[in-house]
Amino acid sequence: MSRQLAAIAAAITMLGLVMLALTAPAHLSDAQRELAFAGPFAGSKPDGSPLAGVAPFGADQLGRSLLQYAQQGAAVVIGPAIAAGFFVAVLSVVGGLMRCVGDQRVDAAIQGFGEIVGALPRMVVILVAALLIPSNSRGLLPLALVWAVLAAPGAMDEAAAVAERLGGARFVEALRAHGFSWSRVFLYHIVALNLRPVVVRQGAEVLLQVTFLELGLSYLAVQKDQSSFTHSDSLKSWADLLYMGYTSIGLGMPTSHALVLGLALVGLVTLMAKATTTMVRAR
Amino acid sequence: MKAWWIRPGVRVLAALLLPLLVPAIITALIWALPGDPAEIICPPSTCGGTSELAARWHLDQGPWSFFTRWVSEALTGEFGMSWRLEQGLPVAALLVESIPVTVKLVLLALVPIVLGVVGAATGIIPQRADGVFATVGLVPALVFALLGSAAVVVKFGASAFSEDANLWRLGIGAVVLGMSDGAFASAVSGVRSVFSAERNQRYVGIAILRGERPLANMLPNVAPALAGQMRARILHLLSGAVVVEVVLGLTGVGDLLWSGTLLQDFGVVLAAATTFACLSAVLLLLQAAVEVGVALHVRRAPPVADAMLAGGG
Repeated sequence: MSRQLAAIAAAITMLGLVMLALTAPAHLSDAQRELAFAGPFAGSKPDGSPLAGVAPFGADQLGRSLLQYAQQGAAVVIGPAIAAGFFVAVLSVVGGLMRCVGDQRVDAAIQGFGEIVGALPRMVVILVAALLIPSNSRGLLPLALVWAVLAAPGAMDEAAAVAERLGGARFVEALRAHGFSWSRVFLYHIVALNLRPVVVRQGAEVLLQVTFLELGLSYLAVQKDQSSFTHSDSLKSWADLLYMGYTSIGLGMPTSHALVLGLALVGLVTLMAKATTTMVRAR
Repeated sequence: MKAWWIRPGVRVLAALLLPLLVPAIITALIWALPGDPAEIICPPSTCGGTSELAARWHLDQGPWSFFTRWVSEALTGEFGMSWRLEQGLPVAALLVESIPVTVKLVLLALVPIVLGVVGAATGIIPQRADGVFATVGLVPALVFALLGSAAVVVKFGASAFSEDANLWRLGIGAVVLGMSDGAFASAVSGVRSVFSAERNQRYVGIAILRGERPLANMLPNVAPALAGQMRARILHLLSGAVVVEVVLGLTGVGDLLWSGTLLQDFGVVLAAATTFACLSAVLLLLQAAVEVGVALHVRRAPPVADAMLAGGG
Protein backbone atom coordinates (compact mmCIF):
# COMPACT_ATOMS: atom_id res chain seq x y z
CA MET A 1 0.00 0.00 0.00
CA SER A 2 1.43 3.40 -0.97
CA ARG A 3 1.66 6.18 1.61
CA GLN A 4 -1.00 8.25 -0.16
CA LEU A 5 -3.43 5.36 -0.34
CA ALA A 6 -2.73 4.54 3.31
CA ALA A 7 -3.39 8.15 4.30
CA ILE A 8 -6.73 8.11 2.50
CA ALA A 9 -7.69 4.77 4.09
CA ALA A 10 -6.66 5.98 7.55
CA ALA A 11 -8.60 9.22 7.19
CA ILE A 12 -11.75 7.52 5.89
CA THR A 13 -11.79 4.80 8.56
CA MET A 14 -11.03 7.26 11.35
CA LEU A 15 -13.73 9.62 10.11
CA GLY A 16 -16.20 6.75 9.82
CA LEU A 17 -15.53 5.53 13.36
CA VAL A 18 -15.70 9.04 14.82
CA MET A 19 -18.98 9.67 12.98
CA LEU A 20 -20.37 6.40 14.32
CA ALA A 21 -19.38 7.44 17.84
CA LEU A 22 -20.77 10.97 17.53
CA THR A 23 -24.13 9.77 16.23
CA ALA A 24 -24.54 7.07 18.90
CA PRO A 25 -27.91 7.14 20.66
CA ALA A 26 -27.89 7.32 24.46
CA HIS A 27 -30.19 4.27 24.61
CA LEU A 28 -31.19 1.56 22.18
CA SER A 29 -34.54 2.16 20.50
CA ASP A 30 -37.67 0.37 21.71
CA ALA A 31 -38.32 -3.21 20.66
CA GLN A 32 -39.90 -3.73 17.24
CA ARG A 33 -41.02 -7.35 17.32
CA GLU A 34 -41.72 -7.50 13.59
CA LEU A 35 -37.99 -6.85 12.99
CA ALA A 36 -36.73 -9.56 15.38
CA PHE A 37 -33.61 -11.28 13.97
CA ALA A 38 -33.98 -9.38 10.72
CA GLY A 39 -30.91 -9.69 8.52
CA PRO A 40 -29.38 -6.88 6.51
CA PHE A 41 -31.24 -7.92 3.39
CA ALA A 42 -34.45 -8.92 5.10
CA GLY A 43 -36.96 -7.91 2.47
CA SER A 44 -39.95 -5.85 3.55
CA LYS A 45 -42.35 -5.40 6.45
CA PRO A 46 -46.01 -6.35 6.09
CA ASP A 47 -46.84 -2.76 5.09
CA GLY A 48 -44.36 -2.96 2.21
CA SER A 49 -41.65 -0.66 3.65
CA PRO A 50 -38.15 -2.14 3.34
CA LEU A 51 -36.70 -3.67 6.50
CA ALA A 52 -33.18 -2.85 5.41
CA GLY A 53 -34.05 0.84 5.58
CA VAL A 54 -35.06 0.52 9.23
CA ALA A 55 -32.16 -1.70 10.27
CA PRO A 56 -29.50 -1.52 7.55
CA PHE A 57 -27.24 -4.08 9.26
CA GLY A 58 -30.06 -6.22 10.58
CA ALA A 59 -31.67 -6.37 14.02
CA ASP A 60 -31.36 -8.23 17.33
CA GLN A 61 -33.87 -10.62 18.91
CA LEU A 62 -36.04 -7.66 19.95
CA GLY A 63 -35.90 -6.00 16.55
CA ARG A 64 -33.50 -3.23 17.58
CA SER A 65 -31.14 -2.07 14.85
CA LEU A 66 -27.60 -3.45 15.03
CA LEU A 67 -26.39 -0.12 13.68
CA GLN A 68 -27.14 1.31 17.12
CA TYR A 69 -24.95 -1.37 18.69
CA ALA A 70 -22.15 -0.37 16.31
CA GLN A 71 -22.62 3.31 17.13
CA GLN A 72 -22.65 2.79 20.89
CA GLY A 73 -19.65 0.45 20.67
CA ALA A 74 -17.73 3.11 18.74
CA ALA A 75 -18.68 5.70 21.37
CA VAL A 76 -17.37 3.41 24.12
CA VAL A 77 -14.06 2.68 22.48
CA ILE A 78 -12.90 5.45 20.16
CA GLY A 79 -12.21 8.28 22.64
CA PRO A 80 -10.23 6.25 25.20
CA ALA A 81 -8.37 4.38 22.45
CA ILE A 82 -7.26 7.63 20.79
CA ALA A 83 -6.34 9.10 24.19
CA ALA A 84 -4.22 6.05 25.07
CA GLY A 85 -2.54 6.08 21.65
CA PHE A 86 -1.78 9.78 21.97
CA PHE A 87 -0.44 9.31 25.52
CA VAL A 88 1.97 6.59 24.38
CA ALA A 89 3.05 8.66 21.36
CA VAL A 90 3.86 11.62 23.62
CA LEU A 91 5.77 9.40 26.05
CA SER A 92 7.79 7.81 23.26
CA VAL A 93 8.69 11.30 21.98
CA VAL A 94 9.88 12.08 25.52
CA GLY A 95 11.88 8.82 25.55
CA GLY A 96 13.56 9.70 22.25
CA LEU A 97 14.34 13.27 23.27
CA MET A 98 15.77 12.14 26.61
CA ARG A 99 18.24 9.93 24.77
CA CYS A 100 19.25 12.94 22.66
CA VAL A 101 19.78 15.01 25.79
CA GLY A 102 22.14 12.24 26.94
CA ASP A 103 21.32 12.21 30.66
CA GLN A 104 22.36 8.77 31.92
CA ARG A 105 20.38 9.03 35.17
CA VAL A 106 17.15 9.64 33.27
CA ASP A 107 18.00 6.76 30.95
CA ALA A 108 18.61 4.49 33.95
CA ALA A 109 15.34 5.60 35.59
CA ILE A 110 13.38 4.85 32.39
CA GLN A 111 15.02 1.42 32.10
CA GLY A 112 14.30 0.63 35.75
CA PHE A 113 10.67 1.67 35.35
CA GLY A 114 10.38 -0.50 32.25
CA GLU A 115 11.93 -3.49 34.02
CA ILE A 116 9.37 -3.42 36.85
CA VAL A 117 6.32 -2.45 34.79
CA GLY A 118 7.20 -4.91 32.05
CA ALA A 119 7.60 -7.82 34.45
CA LEU A 120 3.87 -8.39 34.95
CA PRO A 121 1.33 -9.73 32.47
CA ARG A 122 -0.63 -6.65 31.36
CA MET A 123 -4.03 -8.28 31.69
CA VAL A 124 -3.36 -9.04 35.35
CA VAL A 125 -2.56 -5.39 36.04
CA ILE A 126 -5.67 -4.30 34.12
CA LEU A 127 -7.91 -6.62 36.13
CA VAL A 128 -6.45 -5.41 39.41
CA ALA A 129 -6.96 -1.81 38.22
CA ALA A 130 -10.53 -2.66 37.25
CA LEU A 131 -11.25 -3.56 40.87
CA LEU A 132 -10.68 0.08 41.81
CA ILE A 133 -13.33 1.49 39.50
CA PRO A 134 -16.62 2.02 41.34
CA SER A 135 -19.54 0.29 39.65
CA ASN A 136 -21.41 3.59 39.15
CA SER A 137 -18.56 5.25 37.22
CA ARG A 138 -17.38 2.49 34.95
CA GLY A 139 -15.55 3.52 31.81
CA LEU A 140 -12.79 2.47 29.47
CA LEU A 141 -10.64 5.60 29.86
CA PRO A 142 -8.89 4.72 33.17
CA LEU A 143 -8.15 1.19 31.96
CA ALA A 144 -6.96 2.53 28.60
CA LEU A 145 -4.56 4.89 30.38
CA VAL A 146 -3.27 2.07 32.60
CA TRP A 147 -2.68 0.02 29.44
CA ALA A 148 -0.87 3.00 27.91
CA VAL A 149 1.39 3.27 30.97
CA LEU A 150 2.17 -0.45 30.66
CA ALA A 151 2.96 -0.04 26.95
CA ALA A 152 4.98 3.15 27.44
CA PRO A 153 8.37 1.69 28.50
CA GLY A 154 8.64 -0.40 25.33
CA ALA A 155 7.62 2.54 23.16
CA MET A 156 10.07 4.89 24.91
CA ASP A 157 12.83 2.33 24.57
CA GLU A 158 12.24 1.95 20.84
CA ALA A 159 12.15 5.71 20.29
CA ALA A 160 15.33 6.04 22.36
CA ALA A 161 17.01 3.38 20.18
CA VAL A 162 16.11 5.38 17.05
CA ALA A 163 17.50 8.54 18.64
CA GLU A 164 20.67 6.68 19.57
CA ARG A 165 21.14 5.50 16.00
CA LEU A 166 20.98 9.17 14.97
CA GLY A 167 23.90 9.85 17.26
CA GLY A 168 22.05 11.04 20.38
CA ALA A 169 23.57 14.12 21.98
CA ARG A 170 26.24 14.38 19.23
CA PHE A 171 23.51 14.71 16.57
CA VAL A 172 22.01 17.62 18.52
CA GLU A 173 25.42 19.25 18.91
CA ALA A 174 26.09 18.91 15.18
CA LEU A 175 22.79 20.55 14.25
CA ARG A 176 23.30 23.30 16.81
CA ALA A 177 26.73 23.93 15.26
CA HIS A 178 24.90 24.52 11.97
CA GLY A 179 23.02 27.32 13.69
CA PHE A 180 19.61 25.64 14.08
CA SER A 181 17.49 26.69 17.05
CA TRP A 182 16.69 24.20 19.86
CA SER A 183 13.05 23.99 18.81
CA ARG A 184 13.96 23.30 15.18
CA VAL A 185 16.48 20.64 16.19
CA PHE A 186 14.18 18.81 18.59
CA LEU A 187 10.75 19.30 17.08
CA TYR A 188 11.59 19.20 13.38
CA HIS A 189 14.79 17.24 12.85
CA ILE A 190 14.41 14.71 15.65
CA VAL A 191 10.66 14.33 16.23
CA ALA A 192 9.11 15.12 12.85
CA LEU A 193 11.80 13.70 10.57
CA ASN A 194 13.19 10.78 12.56
CA LEU A 195 10.97 9.69 15.44
CA ARG A 196 7.69 10.11 13.56
CA PRO A 197 7.39 6.57 12.12
CA VAL A 198 8.12 4.90 15.46
CA VAL A 199 6.01 7.26 17.53
CA VAL A 200 2.95 7.06 15.30
CA ARG A 201 3.25 3.28 14.95
CA GLN A 202 3.42 2.86 18.72
CA GLY A 203 0.39 5.12 19.15
CA ALA A 204 -1.58 3.25 16.49
CA GLU A 205 -0.66 -0.12 18.03
CA VAL A 206 -1.85 0.99 21.46
CA LEU A 207 -5.06 2.34 19.91
CA LEU A 208 -5.65 -1.09 18.40
CA GLN A 209 -4.73 -2.90 21.62
CA VAL A 210 -7.12 -0.76 23.68
CA THR A 211 -9.92 -1.51 21.23
CA PHE A 212 -9.22 -5.24 21.56
CA LEU A 213 -8.94 -4.86 25.33
CA GLU A 214 -12.42 -3.35 25.47
CA LEU A 215 -13.76 -6.10 23.23
CA GLY A 216 -12.13 -8.74 25.43
CA LEU A 217 -13.27 -7.33 28.77
CA SER A 218 -16.82 -6.70 27.56
CA TYR A 219 -17.10 -10.09 25.89
CA LEU A 220 -15.95 -11.92 29.01
CA ALA A 221 -18.46 -9.95 31.10
CA VAL A 222 -21.30 -10.63 28.64
CA GLN A 223 -20.40 -14.30 28.58
CA LYS A 224 -20.65 -14.50 32.37
CA ASP A 225 -23.82 -12.35 32.36
CA GLN A 226 -22.14 -9.57 34.37
CA SER A 227 -21.72 -5.83 33.89
CA SER A 228 -18.68 -4.75 31.90
CA PHE A 229 -15.86 -2.75 33.50
CA THR A 230 -15.65 -0.56 30.42
CA HIS A 231 -19.10 0.98 30.06
CA SER A 232 -22.42 1.42 31.81
CA ASP A 233 -25.18 -1.14 31.46
CA SER A 234 -27.21 1.22 29.27
CA LEU A 235 -24.59 1.04 26.51
CA LYS A 236 -23.78 -1.83 24.18
CA SER A 237 -20.27 -2.72 23.07
CA TRP A 238 -19.08 -4.37 19.86
CA ALA A 239 -18.54 -7.39 22.08
CA ASP A 240 -22.34 -7.72 22.32
CA LEU A 241 -22.41 -8.09 18.53
CA LEU A 242 -19.72 -10.77 18.66
CA TYR A 243 -21.52 -12.62 21.45
CA MET A 244 -24.83 -12.38 19.59
CA GLY A 245 -23.08 -13.68 16.47
CA TYR A 246 -21.44 -16.48 18.43
CA THR A 247 -24.87 -17.78 19.46
CA SER A 248 -25.62 -18.30 15.76
CA ILE A 249 -22.83 -20.90 15.64
CA GLY A 250 -23.08 -22.30 19.14
CA LEU A 251 -26.84 -22.32 19.62
CA GLY A 252 -28.13 -22.07 16.06
CA MET A 253 -29.75 -18.65 16.58
CA PRO A 254 -30.37 -16.65 13.37
CA THR A 255 -27.81 -13.95 14.28
CA SER A 256 -24.89 -14.61 11.97
CA HIS A 257 -25.31 -11.09 10.57
CA ALA A 258 -24.28 -9.74 14.01
CA LEU A 259 -21.06 -11.76 13.84
CA VAL A 260 -20.33 -10.37 10.37
CA LEU A 261 -20.91 -6.80 11.56
CA GLY A 262 -18.81 -7.33 14.71
CA LEU A 263 -15.91 -8.77 12.73
CA ALA A 264 -16.23 -6.00 10.13
CA LEU A 265 -15.88 -3.38 12.88
CA VAL A 266 -12.82 -5.17 14.27
CA GLY A 267 -11.42 -5.21 10.72
CA LEU A 268 -12.14 -1.51 10.31
CA VAL A 269 -10.15 -0.56 13.41
CA THR A 270 -7.33 -2.88 12.35
CA LEU A 271 -7.29 -1.29 8.91
CA MET A 272 -7.20 2.17 10.46
CA ALA A 273 -4.21 1.26 12.65
CA LYS A 274 -2.33 -0.45 9.80
CA ALA A 275 -3.04 2.38 7.38
CA THR A 276 -1.87 4.98 9.91
CA THR A 277 1.36 3.06 10.43
CA THR A 278 1.93 2.70 6.69
CA MET A 279 1.10 6.36 6.10
CA VAL A 280 4.01 7.58 8.25
CA ARG A 281 6.60 4.90 7.49
CA ALA A 282 10.12 6.11 6.76
CA ARG A 283 10.98 6.87 3.14
CA MET B 1 31.41 0.29 30.79
CA LYS B 2 28.99 -1.18 33.30
CA ALA B 3 29.92 -4.33 35.25
CA TRP B 4 28.46 -7.48 33.63
CA TRP B 5 26.62 -8.54 36.78
CA ILE B 6 24.52 -5.36 37.19
CA ARG B 7 21.81 -6.30 34.69
CA PRO B 8 21.25 -9.88 35.97
CA GLY B 9 21.54 -8.54 39.52
CA VAL B 10 18.71 -6.07 38.88
CA ARG B 11 16.61 -8.90 37.45
CA VAL B 12 17.20 -11.10 40.50
CA LEU B 13 16.27 -8.19 42.75
CA ALA B 14 13.09 -7.56 40.73
CA ALA B 15 12.28 -11.29 40.86
CA LEU B 16 12.54 -11.27 44.64
CA LEU B 17 10.49 -8.09 45.02
CA LEU B 18 7.72 -8.88 42.56
CA PRO B 19 5.90 -11.60 44.58
CA LEU B 20 5.86 -9.17 47.52
CA LEU B 21 5.01 -6.06 45.55
CA VAL B 22 1.87 -7.46 43.95
CA PRO B 23 0.10 -8.53 47.18
CA ALA B 24 1.25 -5.26 48.78
CA ILE B 25 -0.43 -3.23 46.04
CA ILE B 26 -3.62 -5.30 46.18
CA THR B 27 -3.73 -5.01 49.97
CA ALA B 28 -3.38 -1.25 49.63
CA LEU B 29 -6.23 -1.30 47.09
CA ILE B 30 -8.47 -3.22 49.48
CA TRP B 31 -8.06 -0.49 52.07
CA ALA B 32 -8.20 2.28 49.46
CA LEU B 33 -11.72 1.31 48.41
CA PRO B 34 -14.56 3.16 50.13
CA GLY B 35 -15.90 1.35 53.21
CA ASP B 36 -14.47 -1.25 55.54
CA PRO B 37 -12.85 -4.33 53.88
CA ALA B 38 -14.91 -6.68 56.02
CA GLU B 39 -18.09 -5.03 54.75
CA ILE B 40 -17.10 -5.96 51.20
CA ILE B 41 -17.33 -9.64 52.15
CA CYS B 42 -20.24 -9.35 54.52
CA PRO B 43 -22.29 -6.16 54.18
CA PRO B 44 -23.95 -5.46 57.57
CA SER B 45 -27.26 -4.76 55.79
CA THR B 46 -27.48 -8.31 54.48
CA CYS B 47 -25.46 -10.43 56.88
CA GLY B 48 -24.63 -10.42 60.56
CA GLY B 49 -21.29 -11.18 62.17
CA THR B 50 -19.22 -8.78 60.08
CA SER B 51 -16.82 -8.07 62.97
CA GLU B 52 -16.31 -11.80 63.72
CA LEU B 53 -15.55 -12.43 60.06
CA ALA B 54 -13.11 -9.50 60.00
CA ALA B 55 -11.28 -10.93 63.02
CA ARG B 56 -11.15 -14.45 61.55
CA TRP B 57 -9.76 -13.23 58.22
CA HIS B 58 -7.31 -10.74 59.81
CA LEU B 59 -9.06 -7.72 58.36
CA ASP B 60 -9.55 -5.98 61.70
CA GLN B 61 -5.99 -4.85 62.43
CA GLY B 62 -5.19 -2.75 59.41
CA PRO B 63 -3.45 -3.36 56.06
CA TRP B 64 0.07 -4.00 57.39
CA SER B 65 -1.07 -6.74 59.74
CA PHE B 66 -3.19 -8.31 56.98
CA PHE B 67 -0.32 -8.16 54.48
CA THR B 68 2.34 -9.65 56.76
CA ARG B 69 0.02 -12.45 57.88
CA TRP B 70 -1.04 -13.20 54.32
CA VAL B 71 2.56 -13.33 53.08
CA SER B 72 3.76 -15.50 55.97
CA GLU B 73 0.85 -17.92 55.42
CA ALA B 74 1.37 -17.89 51.65
CA LEU B 75 4.96 -19.02 52.21
CA THR B 76 3.53 -22.14 53.86
CA GLY B 77 1.05 -22.72 51.01
CA GLU B 78 -1.96 -21.12 52.75
CA PHE B 79 -3.63 -18.45 50.62
CA GLY B 80 -6.63 -17.73 52.80
CA MET B 81 -10.29 -18.19 51.93
CA SER B 82 -12.36 -17.14 48.95
CA TRP B 83 -14.44 -14.09 49.87
CA ARG B 84 -17.22 -14.41 47.34
CA LEU B 85 -16.48 -16.75 44.41
CA GLU B 86 -16.53 -19.96 46.47
CA GLN B 87 -17.16 -18.34 49.83
CA GLY B 88 -15.24 -20.02 52.63
CA LEU B 89 -13.35 -22.43 50.37
CA PRO B 90 -9.52 -22.36 50.65
CA VAL B 91 -8.04 -20.44 47.72
CA ALA B 92 -5.11 -22.88 47.70
CA ALA B 93 -7.51 -25.64 46.61
CA LEU B 94 -8.76 -23.46 43.74
CA LEU B 95 -5.17 -22.70 42.72
CA VAL B 96 -4.16 -26.38 42.82
CA GLU B 97 -6.96 -27.11 40.34
CA SER B 98 -6.25 -24.19 38.05
CA ILE B 99 -2.45 -23.84 37.87
CA PRO B 100 -1.88 -27.08 35.90
CA VAL B 101 -4.42 -25.98 33.26
CA THR B 102 -2.67 -22.64 32.72
CA VAL B 103 0.78 -24.22 32.70
CA LYS B 104 -0.33 -26.81 30.12
CA LEU B 105 -1.96 -24.10 27.99
CA VAL B 106 1.09 -21.83 28.03
CA LEU B 107 3.55 -24.69 27.43
CA LEU B 108 1.49 -25.92 24.46
CA ALA B 109 1.23 -22.36 23.14
CA LEU B 110 5.01 -22.12 23.34
CA VAL B 111 5.40 -24.98 20.85
CA PRO B 112 4.57 -22.91 17.72
CA ILE B 113 6.55 -19.99 19.09
CA VAL B 114 9.66 -22.11 19.70
CA LEU B 115 9.28 -23.61 16.22
CA GLY B 116 9.05 -20.08 14.82
CA VAL B 117 12.15 -19.01 16.76
CA VAL B 118 14.13 -22.02 15.49
CA GLY B 119 12.83 -21.50 11.95
CA ALA B 120 13.80 -17.83 11.97
CA ALA B 121 17.23 -18.47 13.53
CA THR B 122 18.12 -21.18 11.01
CA GLY B 123 16.54 -19.41 8.06
CA ILE B 124 14.09 -22.27 7.42
CA ILE B 125 11.22 -19.78 7.56
CA PRO B 126 11.74 -17.39 4.63
CA GLN B 127 11.51 -13.66 5.24
CA ARG B 128 8.75 -13.29 2.66
CA ALA B 129 6.47 -15.30 4.96
CA ASP B 130 6.67 -12.58 7.63
CA GLY B 131 3.90 -10.59 5.97
CA VAL B 132 1.52 -13.56 6.18
CA PHE B 133 2.34 -14.14 9.86
CA ALA B 134 1.94 -10.44 10.62
CA THR B 135 -1.49 -10.41 8.96
CA VAL B 136 -2.61 -13.50 10.91
CA GLY B 137 -1.21 -11.89 14.06
CA LEU B 138 -3.46 -8.87 13.62
CA VAL B 139 -6.47 -10.98 14.60
CA PRO B 140 -7.17 -10.54 18.31
CA ALA B 141 -7.13 -13.57 20.60
CA LEU B 142 -10.78 -12.98 21.42
CA VAL B 143 -11.94 -13.45 17.83
CA PHE B 144 -9.87 -16.61 17.30
CA ALA B 145 -10.93 -17.96 20.69
CA LEU B 146 -14.63 -17.50 20.10
CA LEU B 147 -14.37 -19.12 16.68
CA GLY B 148 -12.49 -21.99 18.35
CA SER B 149 -15.12 -22.24 21.06
CA ALA B 150 -17.83 -22.35 18.40
CA ALA B 151 -15.94 -25.10 16.57
CA VAL B 152 -15.86 -27.21 19.78
CA VAL B 153 -19.58 -26.69 20.36
CA VAL B 154 -20.37 -27.63 16.76
CA LYS B 155 -18.16 -30.73 16.91
CA PHE B 156 -19.22 -32.04 20.31
CA GLY B 157 -22.75 -30.67 20.64
CA ALA B 158 -24.31 -31.62 23.96
CA SER B 159 -21.11 -33.24 25.23
CA ALA B 160 -19.11 -30.03 24.79
CA PHE B 161 -17.68 -30.36 28.30
CA SER B 162 -16.60 -33.99 28.02
CA GLU B 163 -13.01 -35.15 28.49
CA ASP B 164 -12.38 -35.19 24.72
CA ALA B 165 -13.89 -31.75 24.26
CA ASN B 166 -11.67 -30.37 27.03
CA LEU B 167 -8.60 -31.72 25.25
CA TRP B 168 -9.77 -30.02 22.07
CA ARG B 169 -10.31 -26.81 23.99
CA LEU B 170 -6.79 -26.95 25.37
CA GLY B 171 -5.29 -27.60 21.93
CA ILE B 172 -7.33 -24.87 20.27
CA GLY B 173 -6.52 -22.49 23.12
CA ALA B 174 -2.80 -23.15 22.67
CA VAL B 175 -2.98 -22.50 18.91
CA VAL B 176 -5.02 -19.33 19.49
CA LEU B 177 -2.64 -18.08 22.15
CA GLY B 178 0.43 -18.93 20.09
CA MET B 179 -0.75 -17.36 16.85
CA SER B 180 -3.01 -14.41 17.68
CA ASP B 181 -2.17 -10.89 18.85
CA GLY B 182 1.10 -11.10 16.91
CA ALA B 183 2.66 -13.69 19.26
CA PHE B 184 4.08 -15.92 16.51
CA ALA B 185 4.80 -13.05 14.10
CA SER B 186 6.73 -11.07 16.74
CA ALA B 187 8.71 -14.15 17.76
CA VAL B 188 9.77 -14.81 14.16
CA SER B 189 10.53 -11.20 13.23
CA GLY B 190 12.26 -10.48 16.56
CA VAL B 191 14.62 -13.44 16.29
CA ARG B 192 15.25 -12.76 12.60
CA SER B 193 16.27 -9.16 13.30
CA VAL B 194 18.61 -10.23 16.13
CA PHE B 195 20.33 -12.82 13.94
CA SER B 196 20.50 -10.63 10.84
CA ALA B 197 22.19 -7.86 12.86
CA GLU B 198 24.63 -10.38 14.33
CA ARG B 199 25.40 -11.92 10.93
CA ASN B 200 26.94 -8.60 9.86
CA GLN B 201 29.59 -8.83 12.59
CA ARG B 202 33.13 -9.49 11.41
CA TYR B 203 33.63 -12.54 13.61
CA VAL B 204 30.82 -14.34 11.81
CA GLY B 205 32.52 -13.79 8.46
CA ILE B 206 35.79 -15.05 9.93
CA ALA B 207 34.01 -18.10 11.38
CA ILE B 208 32.60 -18.91 7.94
CA LEU B 209 36.08 -18.58 6.38
CA ARG B 210 37.39 -21.01 9.02
CA GLY B 211 34.72 -23.49 7.97
CA GLU B 212 32.71 -23.14 11.18
CA ARG B 213 28.96 -22.93 11.42
CA PRO B 214 27.83 -19.33 11.92
CA LEU B 215 24.88 -20.32 14.15
CA ALA B 216 27.12 -21.99 16.73
CA ASN B 217 29.31 -18.88 16.81
CA MET B 218 26.44 -16.43 17.07
CA LEU B 219 24.38 -18.29 19.66
CA PRO B 220 26.34 -17.34 22.79
CA ASN B 221 26.32 -13.69 21.77
CA VAL B 222 22.63 -13.50 21.00
CA ALA B 223 21.53 -15.73 23.89
CA PRO B 224 20.82 -12.84 26.32
CA ALA B 225 18.72 -11.04 23.70
CA LEU B 226 16.87 -14.27 22.86
CA ALA B 227 16.25 -14.95 26.55
CA GLY B 228 14.77 -11.44 26.90
CA GLN B 229 12.56 -11.99 23.87
CA MET B 230 11.36 -15.38 25.12
CA ARG B 231 10.51 -13.88 28.51
CA ALA B 232 8.48 -11.18 26.79
CA ARG B 233 6.68 -13.82 24.70
CA ILE B 234 5.81 -15.96 27.73
CA LEU B 235 4.53 -12.90 29.60
CA HIS B 236 2.43 -12.10 26.54
CA LEU B 237 1.03 -15.65 26.62
CA LEU B 238 0.24 -15.41 30.34
CA SER B 239 -1.56 -12.13 29.72
CA GLY B 240 -3.54 -13.56 26.80
CA ALA B 241 -4.35 -16.70 28.78
CA VAL B 242 -7.00 -14.76 30.74
CA VAL B 243 -9.13 -14.10 27.64
CA VAL B 244 -8.52 -17.50 26.04
CA GLU B 245 -9.32 -19.47 29.21
CA VAL B 246 -12.58 -17.64 29.87
CA VAL B 247 -13.82 -17.77 26.27
CA LEU B 248 -12.91 -21.43 25.81
CA GLY B 249 -14.12 -22.44 29.26
CA LEU B 250 -10.72 -23.61 30.51
CA THR B 251 -10.56 -23.49 34.30
CA GLY B 252 -7.08 -22.02 34.66
CA VAL B 253 -5.62 -19.24 36.81
CA GLY B 254 -6.71 -16.64 34.24
CA ASP B 255 -10.31 -17.79 34.52
CA LEU B 256 -10.00 -17.77 38.31
CA LEU B 257 -8.58 -14.24 38.29
CA TRP B 258 -11.34 -13.03 35.98
CA SER B 259 -14.11 -14.57 38.07
CA GLY B 260 -12.55 -13.15 41.24
CA THR B 261 -12.32 -9.69 39.67
CA LEU B 262 -15.94 -9.73 38.49
CA LEU B 263 -17.16 -10.61 41.99
CA GLN B 264 -14.62 -8.39 43.81
CA ASP B 265 -13.30 -11.51 45.54
CA PHE B 266 -10.06 -10.04 46.86
CA GLY B 267 -9.03 -13.36 48.42
CA VAL B 268 -8.97 -15.01 45.00
CA VAL B 269 -7.54 -11.97 43.17
CA LEU B 270 -4.73 -11.68 45.72
CA ALA B 271 -3.71 -15.30 45.30
CA ALA B 272 -4.17 -15.48 41.51
CA ALA B 273 -2.30 -12.22 40.83
CA THR B 274 0.51 -13.32 43.16
CA THR B 275 0.70 -16.61 41.26
CA PHE B 276 1.17 -14.66 38.03
CA ALA B 277 3.81 -12.54 39.80
CA CYS B 278 5.63 -15.70 40.94
CA LEU B 279 5.59 -17.09 37.39
CA SER B 280 6.97 -13.79 36.15
CA ALA B 281 9.63 -13.87 38.86
CA VAL B 282 10.70 -17.35 37.73
CA LEU B 283 11.06 -16.02 34.18
CA LEU B 284 13.19 -13.13 35.44
CA LEU B 285 15.42 -15.57 37.32
CA LEU B 286 15.78 -17.76 34.22
CA GLN B 287 16.74 -14.74 32.12
CA ALA B 288 19.26 -13.68 34.75
CA ALA B 289 20.68 -17.23 34.80
CA VAL B 290 21.15 -17.15 31.01
CA GLU B 291 22.87 -13.77 31.23
CA VAL B 292 25.19 -14.97 34.00
CA GLY B 293 25.92 -18.21 32.10
CA VAL B 294 26.84 -16.32 28.92
CA ALA B 295 28.97 -13.81 30.85
CA LEU B 296 30.88 -16.63 32.57
CA HIS B 297 31.27 -18.49 29.26
CA VAL B 298 32.71 -15.37 27.61
CA ARG B 299 35.13 -14.87 30.51
CA ARG B 300 36.23 -18.50 30.40
CA ALA B 301 37.35 -18.11 26.76
CA PRO B 302 41.13 -17.62 26.33
CA PRO B 303 42.26 -14.00 26.14
CA VAL B 304 43.05 -12.95 22.57
CA ALA B 305 46.78 -12.40 23.22
CA ASP B 306 47.21 -15.91 24.72
CA ALA B 307 45.31 -17.48 21.86
CA MET B 308 47.52 -15.70 19.34
CA LEU B 309 50.66 -16.86 21.19
CA ALA B 310 49.40 -20.43 21.26
CA GLY B 311 48.81 -20.23 17.52
CA GLY B 312 52.27 -18.77 16.93
CA GLY B 313 50.79 -15.44 15.77
